[in-house]
Amino acid sequence: TPSSLSVGGALGDPSPFRPSRYVPVSAATAFLVGATTLFLCFTCPWLSEQFSSSILLYNVVIFLFTLANFCMATFMDPGIFSRAEEDEDKEDDFRAPLYKTVEVRGIQVRMKWCSTCRFYRPPRCSHCSVCDNCVEEFDHHCPWVNNCIGRRNYRYFFLFLLSLTIHIMNVFGFSLLYIIHHTKQLDQVRSAVTMAVMCVAGLFFVPVAGLTGFHVVLVARGRTTNEQVTGKFRGGVNPFTQGCLKNIAHMLCSSQAPRYLGHLRKPHSVQVQPPFLRPPLSEAQLAAKVLDNGIQQSKSSLEIMESQSTDADPPPPPKPEHRYPGLPHTQNEECSLLTEAPPTPSLYKYRPAYSSPGKKHTASTHSSKMSRGNSMTESPSVPVTTGQPSYRSDPSLSSRGGAGCRGGGEGGRAGSGGLGGASAFGGRSYPSFTDTLLQSAAASCSSSLRSAHTAHNALGPLISEGTTSTSYKSLANQTRNGSLSYESLLTPSESPEFESAAHDTAPGAPPILGYTSPFLSAQQREGSLQACPAPLRPSPNRAFLRPTSSPPSRAPPLSPRARSLGSPPPGPAPGHTSLGKSLSYGGGAELQHRPSSSGGGTPMPKFTYISLFFPPPTISSTVKQNVANHNTHSHKPAGGVKKVTGVGGTTYEISV
Amino acid sequence: MSSAPRTATERTKLPYCHESFHNLQELRHSASLANKVFIQRDYTDGTVCKFQTKFPSELDSRIERTLFEDTVKMLNNYYAEAEKIGGQSYIEGCLACLTVYLVFLCIETRYDKVLKKISRYIQEQNEKVYAPRGLLITDPIERGMRVIEISVYEDRGSSGSSSGSSTTSSSGR
Repeated sequence: TPSSLSVGGALGDPSPFRPSRYVPVSAATAFLVGATTLFLCFTCPWLSEQFSSSILLYNVVIFLFTLANFCMATFMDPGIFSRAEEDEDKEDDFRAPLYKTVEVRGIQVRMKWCSTCRFYRPPRCSHCSVCDNCVEEFDHHCPWVNNCIGRRNYRYFFLFLLSLTIHIMNVFGFSLLYIIHHTKQLDQVRSAVTMAVMCVAGLFFVPVAGLTGFHVVLVARGRTTNEQVTGKFRGGVNPFTQGCLKNIAHMLCSSQAPRYLGHLRKPHSVQVQPPFLRPPLSEAQLAAKVLDNGIQQSKSSLEIMESQSTDADPPPPPKPEHRYPGLPHTQNEECSLLTEAPPTPSLYKYRPAYSSPGKKHTASTHSSKMSRGNSMTESPSVPVTTGQPSYRSDPSLSSRGGAGCRGGGEGGRAGSGGLGGASAFGGRSYPSFTDTLLQSAAASCSSSLRSAHTAHNALGPLISEGTTSTSYKSLANQTRNGSLSYESLLTPSESPEFESAAHDTAPGAPPILGYTSPFLSAQQREGSLQACPAPLRPSPNRAFLRPTSSPPSRAPPLSPRARSLGSPPPGPAPGHTSLGKSLSYGGGAELQHRPSSSGGGTPMPKFTYISLFFPPPTISSTVKQNVANHNTHSHKPAGGVKKVTGVGGTTYEISV
Repeated sequence: MSSAPRTATERTKLPYCHESFHNLQELRHSASLANKVFIQRDYTDGTVCKFQTKFPSELDSRIERTLFEDTVKMLNNYYAEAEKIGGQSYIEGCLACLTVYLVFLCIETRYDKVLKKISRYIQEQNEKVYAPRGLLITDPIERGMRVIEISVYEDRGSSGSSSGSSTTSSSGR
């Protein structure tokens, strides 16, 4: 049964009542019901008498079907995830990376940590800023139905579009028929009403049919609106598609997905009483187990598949005091770091009451800045990840309304933000997207903060998960309502760990679009932060800039640090003024919002920058393949830095 | 949460070595939650609901690997059955369209039916397999089907002599 419309977040703080949210849906309802009623009352009777009574019946049926789908799309829970409970987030915030990588059908997909909902967003899930919820298989937030479109109600939304198109054609066609037969009596009330209805129908036909066609293509290709407009699968590899027919069948004919909100935690009905049975464990097993734990920690970090192993494996915590320069870079050291921490899960103690504030405020000099930056992460519709090639795989794209569904012009930032960041790694043409770059940089800065220092290194996602991340998860968590301020983030001295983007000149070195190896994505994340400061600096051969100060709260990445675009931002941070606002779907390519204070450059036309940023990707299958120590840069920073080439020619450095 | 130890005074009243009903009650209340293990989703086949069968190391000393894997595989089978696109789901879809979705008020969808089966299965597994080993499985639906949560309980001992420490640690939890 349809769920009630939720104004606030799922089990979160109720958002204030915003009447402006209801304007588009009210208008849509008024037009639909009003125009159809007029049509049925004024036009149809004559037509039924003149031709056939089935005309009225047919129109009524189509209208009812349209209305039913409209109601389902409006009132049905799109697949909202309830907030995760604290015990699910048992990792220390300081250790947990912003991203976790999983492999979907051989393609690396990143799952982003949602600090609002407190879990890693499943693939294709995204957080809607309007509704303040993570939605499964998020398509967009449609203002015309004032609801997110996600897994559970996409079918109804699609059928609504289809039936509405047919309905509009019917209304227009039959009204035209009426008018043709009443050309001599156009002064009658009926004729006037019919003409008015015809105009309304004709007016709405173009956008509705366009949107319908767009979604037909999306369904055929097995993509969501979110994925389409952010250009995630531009290279053509969509791991979620099952072929055109199966996609259609899945959309139309799969069983109604369950509601998550309705299933609250129940206390266990089964009692647990000691003494407990224990499985037999031989001495050899014990010895192997102990040894295995240590080995596994290091090995698992080398395995991409291990990236799927999860919170159950406690990530060894890097000490916050470990700083960048002093950071061990070799695998041996990393392994030792890994084994430093309590490696055996049995040592992990359950912490029922997670006191995040204390941890989060482990002071770092930049914590405040980071908080501010991370507050962006919290605005659910942060587009940060959208533009960046590696983020394309990130399912946690900001919420967007359907391309045609957008009510206002707010969506622009989303698209521009991410795409700007991508340019940093594009290896080509990124300077020209300063505008978007700045926008996205600011946005991506914050989001990348969580992962920025996690430095997915060559050893794989597991390390990055646990060992190299800094407190970004906590910082991200704490700044849900923080104000957005990007200035601090954009100055290189304050963006630690970002060396200048001495990108090599690998042409067409695309930061992969969509699904990249964690290796690449990590360095892109780091680079993206630097992308903020230096959107206008194309020179790929800048010397490395060591961060002048490293925030103590950040655990340094154990291995490669992404090189980022080097220079300080030319101007103040782009005004992501709308970043914190709830936005409906803006479309990744629709740069409708331009920060006034952006560092320059002109907004790129709609989809061109996407193509520029996301040249044909090279999908890397394993991290191991990417670990190639190419010294692509002539410049060798003091202190010894190993350069490693990632996918697409982007490089990053491992500090020695 | 498991039944936490009761008050210290309650326990101090009970002698350690007596094989008495009171001791059994003491035992009954001496399991406490030590840890939670989360079995994550396995996304290798896309967004279908499937959980990783990889045996978590935390459970190494608590339950046999095969039992655990059987449970997870069974759950995966159930979810696959729920999400299967076949005859019944087609009929459901057509019926829903024809009745303008009013049919959802009357019948239970395939997925809901399977979810109930899963719930019963988990209950049965808890009773038969997991609770005797000091573990409890939480239905994934309560976690948005993102994780299978396994609560690990520790036998905190039943003695009055240890009541002091238990009290301290229990209050610390």
